[in-house]
Amino acid sequence: MKISKSTIDKCIFETVKVLKNGGLVVFPTDTVYGLLVDAKNQVAVKKLLKFKDRPVGKPISVFIDSINNLKEYVELNNKNKQILQRILPGPFTVVFRSKHTLDLALESEKGTLGIRLPQSDYIQKLMDIFQSPLTATSANMSGQSPHYSIESLKNQVSSTKEMLIDLIIDAGKLPHNKPSTVVELISSNIKTLRTGDLPFVDSKNFYSKSPSETRKIGQMIIEELTTMPTNKAIVIILIGDLGVGKTEITRGIAKQFGITKIISPTYVIYYEYDISHRSSEISQKRKFIHADLYNIEEDYEYNQLGLTTYIKNKSIMVIEWGEKLGDYYNKFKKDVKIIQIRMEYDGKNGRKITVIK
Amino acid sequence: MNKKKEIIIAIDTSCDETSAAIVCGRCVLSSVVYSQILIHKKWGGVMPQIAKRAHEERIDGVVEETFRKARRNSISNWKDITAIAVTYGPGLAIALGVGIDKAIELSKKHKIPLIGVNHMEGHLYSPFVQNSKGSPDRDFQFPYLGLLVSGAHTEIVLFKNHLKYEILGETRDDACGEALDKAARMLGFGYPGGPILERLASEIDNVDKYKFPRPMIGTKNFDFSFSGLKTSFLYFTNSMSDSDKLENISFLASSFQEAVFTTLVRKTMKAMKHTGVNSVLVGGGVAVNHRLRTLMRRMVKEQGGVILFPSQNYLNFDNAAMIGLVGAIRAERKLFAKSRSDVERVARLSLLQSSIK
Repeated sequence: MKISKSTIDKCIFETVKVLKNGGLVVFPTDTVYGLLVDAKNQVAVKKLLKFKDRPVGKPISVFIDSINNLKEYVELNNKNKQILQRILPGPFTVVFRSKHTLDLALESEKGTLGIRLPQSDYIQKLMDIFQSPLTATSANMSGQSPHYSIESLKNQVSSTKEMLIDLIIDAGKLPHNKPSTVVELISSNIKTLRTGDLPFVDSKNFYSKSPSETRKIGQMIIEELTTMPTNKAIVIILIGDLGVGKTEITRGIAKQFGITKIISPTYVIYYEYDISHRSSEISQKRKFIHADLYNIEEDYEYNQLGLTTYIKNKSIMVIEWGEKLGDYYNKFKKDVKIIQIRMEYDGKNGRKITVIK
Repeated sequence: MNKKKEIIIAIDTSCDETSAAIVCGRCVLSSVVYSQILIHKKWGGVMPQIAKRAHEERIDGVVEETFRKARRNSISNWKDITAIAVTYGPGLAIALGVGIDKAIELSKKHKIPLIGVNHMEGHLYSPFVQNSKGSPDRDFQFPYLGLLVSGAHTEIVLFKNHLKYEILGETRDDACGEALDKAARMLGFGYPGGPILERLASEIDNVDKYKFPRPMIGTKNFDFSFSGLKTSFLYFTNSMSDSDKLENISFLASSFQEAVFTTLVRKTMKAMKHTGVNSVLVGGGVAVNHRLRTLMRRMVKEQGGVILFPSQNYLNFDNAAMIGLVGAIRAERKLFAKSRSDVERVARLSLLQSSIK
């Protein structure tokens, strides 16, 4: 069917009818031609996966009719909801923890679900009538490029596959819009360290009034720590809010090892620095590691970071957001000398720095 | 144009993207970025899949796919390849290691020389990357000023001639893309936050309601610092009530974005005046932001200069195509790696270290 201003009502009526019967519809979206099925209908979803040759565990996002109904499908707090009202409808796929109320085949292996509320009159009108989530996947096989016209779709699809399609709504050639941007609104899965997990006995407070003082405190802490010879790796866990000066104190610590150019490692997770060696006793493999676990979302990711190699090499590791190490910390705590530095805001420009050994 | 062009296969695993490309001189014959494939598969795995195993799992497939896609440009096997270019820094150490190990293995197996490339050289050259048909046809007219802006980097580079770089200024703490992402987090958005700030800001015509401090704008040098801006944004948003914050969320987003971007623009302008170089290149992930593009274009036009951005969207982000171009330039000058140590990973590799004398 060809869709246009004059035929829109009829097209949507037909589409709804087909979808209610578990059918598969090729439909123009705000980005590319999409494949719609009823996201609550298991048989219909199965048909869709068959059409797409979709490997299991690769998620498929869904169109919803309104933000108000979102909490039926995903975990959502009030703050998130208010924020969503600002960016949706729009070219975003927002990923949440699923409540598993739609067909599970649509979720990722991690149990998350992607939601779309597009800026498209056709979809909006369709959703207003259908009032239940629809799949929002592009009309192409997995791994192939998406389609901006029905002709290009038909060229790619085999006749057996074409039989699976119950209805095609043709809006002509779609503008080459970019795919939607994916945004995550998932609360972190990570267990943070409880105070009881750490065998600290001794603590000392410092007060800093400026970044340069914070650096000096860092220098003092590491000086004291390295006067006693150790044949273990040193792990310094930095705990404190955004902007409290974690990178500054790291700069002071790094200076002690002849490293001057410390920048934030947030984006790459950690930077590895060579240590200028004054004594030949220490292994050349010993490195200075500046890590930031801010962007780590899942426990299993720690196993992939290669941190144990650095522990074996007796490296110096400064770990921002180190409290996120959680259970992973228990795996290496015997092999390292560990200290914890807690940083807090103290008055307008001041910082309270507590060192726990 | 007439002399025989070097055909290079390039590998980049500097952070969370696994990518490979085959280029002939400046022309990209094929390019595969793993996360790009996933975007086609909708939101499969754009979550930061850091680290080693992820790269190891993907690298062979990505290289294979690169060859498969190059077939339509009549590159069919390793005999056609002059050299292998590989990113050896800056980036996440173990991620870099995967690409380097693979490049070494392939170099031995196929008896092809290796070329080590600095990831930032790639971004600097990215506006000159052409498609397989040789478009865009931009000649090199040295010298250039390069503004490199991404989640991990912010620097202004004097690009004197092929492979000759001087760093005029760089960030002392956070990268500009990181600052945007973190501000978005403070407003309650997920990752990546940059596109959301851009969208919110554009809705209110990029009004700068709050006029946050422009960090280091008055200093004589060309360095950047976004950490202080991040902290003042945090203080400011913390002082607002939730409803106040929500009501003004677009203004907060816009004002923060303006503070970051006007700093980038002003520092670049200062560098233009200081060096007398009027041709500007912009590369890196933040260069896709329309507001930054508008502000930069306006400023450079007022200065009577010219400005070039990467010609295709993917070239702004991490990709191996730009690494291939640098590889081809190095291959023309016979700058091959002489030993394994020439491609040893350097997590905090600076452009200065890659500059020829």
